[in-house]
Parts: sequence; structure tokens; C-alpha cells
Amino acid sequence: MAEKPAWEEVNHTADWALRVRGQDLRTLFENAARGMIGLIGGEADPNRSPVSLSIELQAFDWEVLLVKWLAELLYLIEDEGMVFTNVHVQRVEDFSLRAEVSGIPGGRFGKYIKAVTYHNLAIRRTANGYETTIVFDV
Amino acid sequence: MRKQDLRRLSEYLWEVPATFRDDMRVPARLYASERLLEDILEVDDQSLEQLVNTATLPGLVGYALAMPDIHQGYGFPIGGVVASRTSDGIISPGGVGFDINCGVRVLASNVAFEEVEPHLRDLVEALYHNCPSGVGRGGHLKLSRGQFEQLLQEGAEWALKQGYAEPEDLERTEEYGRLRAADPSKVSKRAIDRGIEQVGTLGAGNHFIEVDRIDEIYDEEAAAAMGLVKGNIAVQIHCGSRGFGHQVCSDYVDHFQGVIHRYGIKLPDRQLICAPFNSPEGQAYFAAMCAAANYAFANRQVLAYHIRRTFEQVLAGKVRDWHLRQVYDIAHNMAKVEKHEVDGKRVEVVVHRKGATRAFGPGFEGLPEEYRSIGQPVLVPGSMGTASWILVGTPASMAQTFGSTCHGAGRVMSRSQAKKQIRGEALRQKLEQGGIAVRAGSMAGLAEEAPQAYKDVDEVVRTVSGAGIARKVARLVPVGVIKG
Repeated sequence: MAEKPAWEEVNHTADWALRVRGQDLRTLFENAARGMIGLIGGEADPNRSPVSLSIELQAFDWEVLLVKWLAELLYLIEDEGMVFTNVHVQRVEDFSLRAEVSGIPGGRFGKYIKAVTYHNLAIRRTANGYETTIVFDV
Repeated sequence: MRKQDLRRLSEYLWEVPATFRDDMRVPARLYASERLLEDILEVDDQSLEQLVNTATLPGLVGYALAMPDIHQGYGFPIGGVVASRTSDGIISPGGVGFDINCGVRVLASNVAFEEVEPHLRDLVEALYHNCPSGVGRGGHLKLSRGQFEQLLQEGAEWALKQGYAEPEDLERTEEYGRLRAADPSKVSKRAIDRGIEQVGTLGAGNHFIEVDRIDEIYDEEAAAAMGLVKGNIAVQIHCGSRGFGHQVCSDYVDHFQGVIHRYGIKLPDRQLICAPFNSPEGQAYFAAMCAAANYAFANRQVLAYHIRRTFEQVLAGKVRDWHLRQVYDIAHNMAKVEKHEVDGKRVEVVVHRKGATRAFGPGFEGLPEEYRSIGQPVLVPGSMGTASWILVGTPASMAQTFGSTCHGAGRVMSRSQAKKQIRGEALRQKLEQGGIAVRAGSMAGLAEEAPQAYKDVDEVVRTVSGAGIARKVARLVPVGVIKG
């Protein structure tokens, strides 16, 4: 049987929804970021140099941490015009996250996500790790 | 949900009784023609389950309502209306949604379409150029932090003081374009950072500026009061509070996740997150939400200014009269403190309208003199390439729906399906062949907003009109579309 994809778009009438999988929570958080960045796309400014950033976040449960993590990346996309080239989640434990991200600021985007929602958001254990479905307001 | 779970109350009204699910506090009611209901059930997009979920919120009075343009949202369905007592009820940032005071403004002209037609392409191009749009795009205004906080407190009044408005614009805006409960100290630094450079910008997604031809008049008296003349040009603006409102909502939705347990509120969906209206958290959100609403009123006002300037730039000397008068400006994502009659008593409630429009009937004191006898104008944009409508509120909307009605066509097709089925460039060509000049920043974004992805707006309007919760005044058809 073919391996299930790390992320896939799920039908939603008004917004965008992504089903995301990961063998552990660290991978799940990384795949969620990659999936979301893939939905938005973006065209980098060839005249700008790449930058790297460290992100550290804390929450009181996994779902809140996931929303905060993706919202942080959305903020960088909107505020800095960041076209991400690499997302590496280093550590996810005790409802906290540490990640290194790289990207090129000043990019152009044809698509937009307003926010990450909590709609029916639940991170579930599966036989192969973890899975969740995230709905984005667009 | 199945059709047999709904009880038909009249030709256009269906009810899910409060016994349908143990956690419902009030029945849920849906305004829909049989055809629209069957479409909703066929799409099976959880919107009716979302409606039932809203019926579980504390302090609700009457019914949890949905308008015929209902479709799947996150938390609330789009097209949802609930009223919660201020005394012991809640306010829900999830219910209002991320685009606080997303709304519509209509401007009308005295110029006939035929006079503008030779200059239409120039007009659409100039509107696209002069009205900043697209993802994260900054506007023409550079504001200090102090000026920005004043804007958050004063909304459209700030825009009037800065020369972006005509006095009549404010009279013809919901709440005169200013919610006085706004408190900038209740919004985060990040919200301010996101919003300060975006005043006077359209954004992306389903937001648009549309040039329309007034196609038909259904109520001569109301149309005359609004200055709507068959065959003349009108302009619609659809946008909201941009990154500022999105951040305000995100901040409070996150914050409330950690405090809801204090109030013993259990929810079927975390996005329905709420707090008691009279709690410190509820009051803080309300003050921040009002600031975001003021941002949106100011935003649409500054855009209206750019549109007027553009009409002058392109049409001066070529047509007799290029001036645009404001018809009305309304919100369709908002929580408002209002008094409504419930079981024979006047009750103060927080009316949440998520993808629904206030539709107050004749006699409402918050309307300018010229509208008081006809009722509040209701602006219902359709999808690109189809019609839009101007309606008015009625005594029945006051009695049945907390003075609310529909807000648009409502989607039937998912964005991923639309992307698969429709190519943006082909759609643009088709619209152009149909006589609609299109200027869009993103062809993929255009495809997601294709007319096929939406319900038949005429059927939606037939339903609210048949149910009596709004009255038809005029139908508009697009001749130019500007999208981010």
C-alpha cells in the first residue's frame, strides 16, 4: 500500500484545509509548516539575500502550539514578504517548540491566508505517528 | 444532516428542533427555498452541523439562525446569526471571525453606463493602479502610532477629519462609521504593526472593487431615496479590517483558549471560543473588536476616496457628472449590542452576524432622515459575472431574525475543486467576452472566485424577499472587476 502523503489538501467550501501527518510531533509540525507554505506559494525577489531566524514558542497544549507556530510563519509572510526556503523544527516537547527557518524577504504572493483556525482542530495518534486537519481562513 | 431532521415551518423557513442534539440550548432555523436546502444537503459541507453547534452557546435567545447563503465556515457557518443576552450570555471572537467588519460599501453615480462605456477599460486600469490590492500590500498612508490610535477610536470620523470623506458618507454608514466602545489599549503591538501600513488597501481573496450598471429597479420609492437610477453606474467595495482585524481575532481566540475553563463553558468546536460578555476578557475583546471595526470603516472610506479621485481623473471632461454619492456601508462580520423583542420583552443582546447583514426596518433612528421611512439599505454582492442586489430591512426582519438578512451568494464549490476545474486566464477571457473588464493580481485567486463556485444570488434574494426578511430595491450587474 502506498504511503500516505505528509500533507494533502482537503475539500472545504469557503476556506483551505490541510490534512497533515508526521511520524512524531516534530515532523508533524514541520510538515504542517511546509504544507501551508506550499499552499501560499510566493515569488522571491532575486535581488534580496536570504536570512535565517530562530523561533521559540510556548503554549499550554499541542493544538494551541500548532496554531501559534503556523501563525508566526504567516506573520513573517505578511509583514516581511518572506518566501521560505527551509523550515527545520529542531525540538517539540512540553508544549514548546524551537525552529530554525530561512527565507528571502520582499517576495510577492498571489494567495493569502488570513489566519489559522481551531475549527475541529485535534492532533490524533495514529498507527504511524500523528495526524491532524487544519482549516485556514482565506 | 438529513432532510427529515428539519421541520418545514413555511415555504422559506426550516427548523432543527432543540431536541436534535442534547447540547442545543435553542432550536436552529434556516431560511432557504427547497431548492437551496437541497443544494446545501447535497454539498454536505457540515454547514448545518456548524449551525447546530452555534445553538449550544450560553445565553442565547430565540433561535440560532442561518441565512440562505449559508455555507461551511470555521466555528460558525457563514450566514450564521445568534443573539446572546448581555446579562448572562457570551461574546465569541471565533463567531465574529478573523475579518472583523468585513463589509460592503456602494457608491452611486448620475452617469449612464453608455457614457462611461468608451472609458471603461481606462477606468478599471486606473482603479487597479490607484487602489492598492494584493497580499500584505501597504497603502498610500504613512501614519504615526498616535494618528493610528486616533483612527482606531474614530473610524470613518477620522477619515472625514483627514479629508477622505464627505459628511453624507458617515450618515450613510452603519453606526455612522464609528463604534464608540473601541479601545486601542486592548489591541496588541503586533496587530498595530500589521495594520498601520494597510489603511486604504483592498487585500486579496474574495475582496474586490466592482463597477456595476444598475440593471433593474424593484422599488421606485426606495431607489429614489438612495439615488439609484436604472442604467446608471454604481461602484461596490468589499473588504474589511485587513491584517489588523485578523491579528485582533487571533490574539483573543488564542487567549480565550486558556481562560474558558474558568467559566465552565463547554464547546463542540474550539473555534466557537467565547467568554461571558460581562467578564474582563469579554469586555476587552469587545473593545478591541470595535477598534478593528473602526479600522474597517476607515479603510473602506479611504478606498472610496481613491475611487472618487480615479473617477475624476478618468472621466472629468468626458462625461457630464462623475461624482459618486454613498448609498450605504454595512458590516457582515460583527458582534453588536442591540435591543430586540424576545417573548414580548425588550432584551439587550450581543447579535453575532457572521457572513450576515444587519437589516433594520423602517423607523430605525440610526438611519439618516431620507432612509427612515424605507428601512436600512442592505448590500448583497453576488459573485463575479453575476448580479448583486440592494435590498432594505423590514418589520419582519426585526421580528424574526434580530434585524438580519443574507450577505451574498454563498459558496457551493470548494477552492481546491474550483482550482482544478477552472483556469484563471480562461475565466478572465470569458468574463471579458461577456462585457466585463477584469483586472486581477492573481489568476489562481481569480479562478477560486469563479461564478460557478457560488450559489445563484437571485435565488438567495428571492428567498429572503419571499420570507419577508428583506425587500428588493435594485439589481446591479458588473461591468468592471478589480481584484487583488
